[in-house]
Amino acid sequence: MKTELKSFQLPDEKGYFGPYGGSFVPPQLQGVLDEITQAYMEIKDDEQFLTELHALYKHYVGRPSPIFHARSLSEKMGGAQIYLKREDLNHTGAHKINHCLGQALLAKKMGKQTLIAETGAGQHGVALATAAALVGLKCDIYMGEVDIAKEKPNVIRMKILGARVISVTRGTKTLKDAVDEAFEAYLGDPITQFYAIGSVVGPHPFPMMVRDFQSIVGREARQQFREMTGSLPDNLVACVGGGSNAMGLFTAFLDDEEVLIYGVEPSGLSLREGEHAATLTLGKPGVLHGFKSYLLQDEKGNPLKVYSVASGLDYPGVGPQHSLLKDLERVTYVTAGDSEAIDAFFDLSRFEGIIPALESAHAVAFALKLAGKLEKDKTILVNLSGRGDKDIDYVAETYGKDYGVV
Amino acid sequence: MIADAIKNKTKAVIPYITAGLPGMDATGEIIRSLRAAGAAAIEIGLPFSDPMADGPVLQKASHLALKNGFTLEGLMEHLGDWTTSIDIPLIVMSYINPLMRRGIGETLSRFRDRGVQGVIIPDLPSDAREIHALCRDIGIDLIRLVAPTTTLQRQEEVISQCSGFVYAVSVKGVTGVRQCLPGEVARQVQGIKAMTDLPVCIGFGISTAEQVNDMLAFADGVIVGSHLMERIMGDPNPVIAAHDTLRELIGPGIESIR
Repeated sequence: MKTELKSFQLPDEKGYFGPYGGSFVPPQLQGVLDEITQAYMEIKDDEQFLTELHALYKHYVGRPSPIFHARSLSEKMGGAQIYLKREDLNHTGAHKINHCLGQALLAKKMGKQTLIAETGAGQHGVALATAAALVGLKCDIYMGEVDIAKEKPNVIRMKILGARVISVTRGTKTLKDAVDEAFEAYLGDPITQFYAIGSVVGPHPFPMMVRDFQSIVGREARQQFREMTGSLPDNLVACVGGGSNAMGLFTAFLDDEEVLIYGVEPSGLSLREGEHAATLTLGKPGVLHGFKSYLLQDEKGNPLKVYSVASGLDYPGVGPQHSLLKDLERVTYVTAGDSEAIDAFFDLSRFEGIIPALESAHAVAFALKLAGKLEKDKTILVNLSGRGDKDIDYVAETYGKDYGVV
Repeated sequence: MIADAIKNKTKAVIPYITAGLPGMDATGEIIRSLRAAGAAAIEIGLPFSDPMADGPVLQKASHLALKNGFTLEGLMEHLGDWTTSIDIPLIVMSYINPLMRRGIGETLSRFRDRGVQGVIIPDLPSDAREIHALCRDIGIDLIRLVAPTTTLQRQEEVISQCSGFVYAVSVKGVTGVRQCLPGEVARQVQGIKAMTDLPVCIGFGISTAEQVNDMLAFADGVIVGSHLMERIMGDPNPVIAAHDTLRELIGPGIESIR
């Protein structure tokens, strides 16, 4: 296992994480990806770039984000101690700003004029629109019509920030279709545009680059947790859609064999086809959107319809490094459904005064279950990847009656 | 032999059609009508839900064909009839994921057994030596794509893992009808020809007989997709539309049947 753990220095130079990842794209796109890879490799360890980025992390994002011991919730479960890495307190309300600033600075250095991206819940879109405004680039965000209706506050935020929000009406009108349309727009003009992918997905170098920018989360957490408790957390928990917040937290701990790591996928309404987005749990290796990874697909090789109450988890693929971590059994991938996530959404709100994003509520839901099974001296660190302001209208409308909100 | 079929033709035009549109039987008839109109070879595209290299027309075609119930297994039932009904090569274009479901080797062998001579996989990584070796062993040409933005190093890699012909993408974006700049394309084709004896065919963005003539001044063949599919989809008689469109593109003075 130890030698395999060293392989977390991945990907290789062609972008593979073991058998996953790579760059499965038409040649007209490969040219620009090569350019991005080269530009990224040049700045990745460049002192000036890192100084600029870390100054923004500190003075603009508000990093380091704190770790909070959720005592009431831990007490309620009667087991392990639950800690929250408060990425929800970042400027723009989620972890996404970490990789958006990195990509925006890179795009600016490469002389690009427009940042484009897909977004599911709108968190990535808002973060990118913010970064674009900050560094002085134009911004086009592709978003499914269904998600636009569900995530209205984020749509308005993006527009206030000066971004164009392009409504995607093809297919299921959700995240996968937004990715398709954003890719198409990118291929239409890869010279002046920079596709700032919203997660650790897509062709090389995106899974590596987004992970690198997000890994600040785990590096901070590792040090903070030690300072707080004198040791490393026994368990890490993060939700996994594409998997950017999870890779952000996990990366710094991958070599710590004593730390158990859990990725939580959305089981939606059920694990029946079309009612979930539990890619690692039920998918099979395949290629979509330019990379090889586990994929929810039908027998013909077309991606399946996916569903989750959390738009940001609603994706039939998953980051390639997660696929490798699953195969290596370094990370255990589990599921939480809509109703568990909604319960956790209200539990965290009412026991700790923190309203989580529906995506992050999946991680909280699993952490609550896990805590109940563990001794009181065990610890669980949850990546609270986003805040729930964007979800309150939807939750009130759909579940408000059951929880005494309306 | 795909390479010979292209080289032996004075005006090698390779029409692209989406399989299963408007139906499987119609696809068979369209294939025969394209042969009669003078095609050098025929490329049939397998519909896929997320066709990242295709523009709006071929995307629409893909989605319509899937909606019509296209399946790979259904295609397998027809392929043999189609290849025996024509005396020119049939080439299959497919994104990689549908080919992987039963294993790429098995799927490509089944194509070969049904008389398919070549395969184009637009989202193949530039280093695809394993699939290239597989195709060589199976006996099916692996036609590779090269774009204007492809670096020299990648071009060499791709061309060394290519057979049948080199597919030169003439624009920087997705497929679709648009203006090409013959000067740039000519330089691109010359660059490729300096590296290989394989024929070089140009695709993406060709929609007029004039463009076909321009391109054939320096390329061995041209591929016509979006323009043809637009006509096929917009006509109550797709078989005749396919024939007439190809005739118009090839232009006068060329034999239509050998």
